[in-house]
Amino acid sequence: MYVSPIREPLIKGGKDYSQVTKDIMAPMAGKPSIYWYVGIAISGGALLFGAWATFVTVYYGIGSWGLNKTVGWAWDITNFVWWVGIGHAGTFISAILLLFRQKWRTSINRSAEAMTLIAIACAGFFPLIHMGRIALGFFIFPYPNTRELWVNFNSPLLWDVFALTTYFLVSLIFWYVGLIPDIGTVRDKAKNKIRKAIYGFLSFGWTGSAKHWSRHETVSLILAGLAAPLVLSVHTIVSFDFATSVIPGWHTTIFPPYFVSGAVFSGFAMVLTLLIVTRKALNLEQYITKVHIESMTKIIILTGSIVGIAYITEFFMAWYSGVEYEQYAFMNRAFGPYAWAYWIMMTCNVITPQLFWFKKIRTNLVAVFIISIFVNIGMWFERFVIIVTSLHRDYLPSSWTMYTPTVAEVGLYVGTFGLFFTLFMVFIRVFPVIAIAEVKSVLKSSSDEKKHTHHE
Amino acid sequence: MNKYLTAYYLDEEDLLKGLKKIKSKGVEVADVLTPFPVHGLDKVLGLRRSRLSIIAFAGGAIGATLGFLFQAWVFTRAYPINFGGKPYFAVPSFMPVTFELAVLFAAFSMVFAFLISNNLGPGSKNIIHDEQITDDRFLLVVKMDEEDDEKVKAVEIILSDAGAQGITLKA
Amino acid sequence: MENLTFKLTKKTVTVFVVMIAIGLIALLYGVLGSPGAERVAANLLLNNYYFLSLGLIGLFFVTVHAISESAWHTSVGRIGEAMSAFIPAGGALLLIFFVLGGLHLVFEWTHEDHLDAILLKKTPYLNEPFFYIRSVFFIGVWAAMAHYIRKVSLQVDLNGDMKYFNRLRTLSAVFIVFYALSSVVTSWDWLMSIDAHWFSTLYGWYVFSSMLASGVAMIIIILYILKRMGYMDHVNVEHIHDLGKYLFGFSIFWAYLWYSQYMLIWYANIPEETVYFYERHKNFEGIFYVNLILCFVIPFFALMTRNSKRTFSVLIPVSVIVIIGHWVDLYLLIMPGAVGGEKSGIGLLEIGLTIGFMGLFLLVTFWALTKAPLASKKHPLYKESLDYHTNY
Repeated sequence: MYVSPIREPLIKGGKDYSQVTKDIMAPMAGKPSIYWYVGIAISGGALLFGAWATFVTVYYGIGSWGLNKTVGWAWDITNFVWWVGIGHAGTFISAILLLFRQKWRTSINRSAEAMTLIAIACAGFFPLIHMGRIALGFFIFPYPNTRELWVNFNSPLLWDVFALTTYFLVSLIFWYVGLIPDIGTVRDKAKNKIRKAIYGFLSFGWTGSAKHWSRHETVSLILAGLAAPLVLSVHTIVSFDFATSVIPGWHTTIFPPYFVSGAVFSGFAMVLTLLIVTRKALNLEQYITKVHIESMTKIIILTGSIVGIAYITEFFMAWYSGVEYEQYAFMNRAFGPYAWAYWIMMTCNVITPQLFWFKKIRTNLVAVFIISIFVNIGMWFERFVIIVTSLHRDYLPSSWTMYTPTVAEVGLYVGTFGLFFTLFMVFIRVFPVIAIAEVKSVLKSSSDEKKHTHHE
Repeated sequence: MNKYLTAYYLDEEDLLKGLKKIKSKGVEVADVLTPFPVHGLDKVLGLRRSRLSIIAFAGGAIGATLGFLFQAWVFTRAYPINFGGKPYFAVPSFMPVTFELAVLFAAFSMVFAFLISNNLGPGSKNIIHDEQITDDRFLLVVKMDEEDDEKVKAVEIILSDAGAQGITLKA
Repeated sequence: MENLTFKLTKKTVTVFVVMIAIGLIALLYGVLGSPGAERVAANLLLNNYYFLSLGLIGLFFVTVHAISESAWHTSVGRIGEAMSAFIPAGGALLLIFFVLGGLHLVFEWTHEDHLDAILLKKTPYLNEPFFYIRSVFFIGVWAAMAHYIRKVSLQVDLNGDMKYFNRLRTLSAVFIVFYALSSVVTSWDWLMSIDAHWFSTLYGWYVFSSMLASGVAMIIIILYILKRMGYMDHVNVEHIHDLGKYLFGFSIFWAYLWYSQYMLIWYANIPEETVYFYERHKNFEGIFYVNLILCFVIPFFALMTRNSKRTFSVLIPVSVIVIIGHWVDLYLLIMPGAVGGEKSGIGLLEIGLTIGFMGLFLLVTFWALTKAPLASKKHPLYKESLDYHTNY
């Protein structure tokens, strides 16, 4: 198919198919570098800190946290929403960019999807542990029991259970189905017998048959078509946790699409943070090019601006409604005791992404890396501000109080970072970080040696 | 005993051109194996359109129905509880779970159907004709049930005329 | 090979003029007959808002596809551009409508002697001078941008120079940002303030999604008409499939926003919010559900299969249903607050006025189609679009 010459190449270095295989499989071969060991040591340490914090929480109970009657949710749910939001970028890249036929997604979808799965695992930890008696965590699932009691289908917290379970499972099979052909490649290149046997088992007998490929493409397309509304629904249902309430600052109809945009916004920022380092460390700069980075920054401008418009809408509507409680909620956010959190949020979420309007900044990798971190800081504070400021001062002034986290709460968050980076580091050693077969399928049309295909 | 003639190409365009030639000479190609899905190959091989979408739809419909009816039963028959004044048959509340179960059932039924119908799964044993397929070779496979050496040679000539390399006869 | 110059025949013009005439007759009947001034005014607002928005969505389509470097859209982009030619006319008509008394007939907050405590609080925003300043400003900038973007698009056509292509992209980005803000604010001003005691932060995006779905439907219908007339041979089944996917997707997106707004208000059950739906359930119950069926249920099931999105025999009936459906959606946004249950209805007035505005919109759009080649041949991505085919 003809490709216009104005399109920038997506794969550099004049690669052929076997070169693609070699380059992408290189990080899995041999011994890991010293940086990998250092990295996993640090993330392992964070994970251990989290394990300690988990022990403290389970052994002593939620009293070991800084929560009180007024502020019943704080770091726990902030972290939950933050991690779920980050997970959304992976599905956005795999599903929505596939539906929009964006070829640039082929270099980044594999690692982004892996990131999604790990992020959902990190996210799911928080609702579980904030229950206190986590051994009874299975109560959230509807199963026949002697109390003849079912779960509350009216509650968004229960909808979350179904949404996150579905999201995790569907993302898992989407990731894995896409991975099968690449596992076939790893199997076929394996020299060691055990390695060959393990990857042989994991490859599910993949042969590369044309009929299998045809069905595989159909499955990927339909999964994309299912995953696209799914990803919207998950963060929508998460937003329902707040929006179905009656509290000022929480109950507002714009939350569903606003949360979804915010999720994609922070998710892409995390993908950028990860991939800017990964592409350099694993010598994959010719596959994850500046075009890929730039395209992701454009999605950040789009979603960041949508979040900004949502902020403006909320302020205006708070005034327009004439509801004094709603108006106070926003005044308190900007000028009350948590104003510092609010202004960090505003600076990071509204101002920093707008810098990406300038091409010079979009194509400067250091700037992009720094901004991506600020975006995620901003999005953490956004959830914190929404949750804590609305809870600590709502309708009844006699209930107003302050909240401060304890070391245990902070430790749990640090622990999830440990889990996230540890699993990601394992992932890059065990599976190809770029979708080998997908990159090969766009090689002819999008490499820097433009080879036009004849069409029959 | 099953014998196969295999031959490969190093470029998908050459594969498509050669394949058309081979088919026009009446050779029945049992399978074509490629490192990635080749655009246009389906048509040349005459592959039927997949019916997996029907399975996905059926799965989704079942999931949605089960989800909705279950919630309705729980809330109206099994143990009706007044939650914040909401009606027992709370249709707006039922929507999220209904939707999620629809997606879950659709995705899983389709993926399982895909894996099972193509004999792909943990422990599946399929013939790997050439370990280079998953790297950069586009292989075609012709089944040779004959013991007739003449027939085999004739097909080999057709294959090499069509530009295929590495023509091998294997058991 | 391609017939790229559109000729507006006398026959076509006659059809549109007859439609406009029907509209004028309906208007006359409305003014002289029984419906009542509020109902006539509400209908004028409904149709004016609808078709002005369709023009804006046309421009939105052109600009979004420009900045996303979409190749396939260059084959159908002229339709969206032509629709945007209606913006000045639609905007001017709306302002005239407001000035000639429409504002007072529809919007209770303009009756300054009858303001209750809640409305009094809103007067810094809901007052006539500020209202007019906003309306004139937004309509003015829209019209100017539509004109300028069209001009640059034609330069890309004449001249394939990357300089014009890049200018088009920059302008597109500016328009999209401005449109995001202005569509939301104008929906508050021109629609939400009809029920001035009520508010919803999602409202602007909800109305936008409604217009987006009907905008695609209109593009599909116009494409079909052009193809029937023998034009647009360069548009193949793959392009049509993409438009069908948009129709399917945007209908689902609209339903998602509809549900979000409805469910959240239902769930929290706060009287000052639920009063909005209470009125709709009490006096407009049938239409309330018809709205969902037309805008979501039918498009969702009819457009699910791959083939349905590739054939006009399904796309056209569904597009017509979607356009009617979103008219009904606007009806539910406007009538309960502006006219109320007893005095409103869907009769000859409604049908006639809609036909009238449709005729005017189509006349302007088809006139605009004559002013430029139907495909942008020198566009750097056009050749890719011509060769366009894909596996999915």
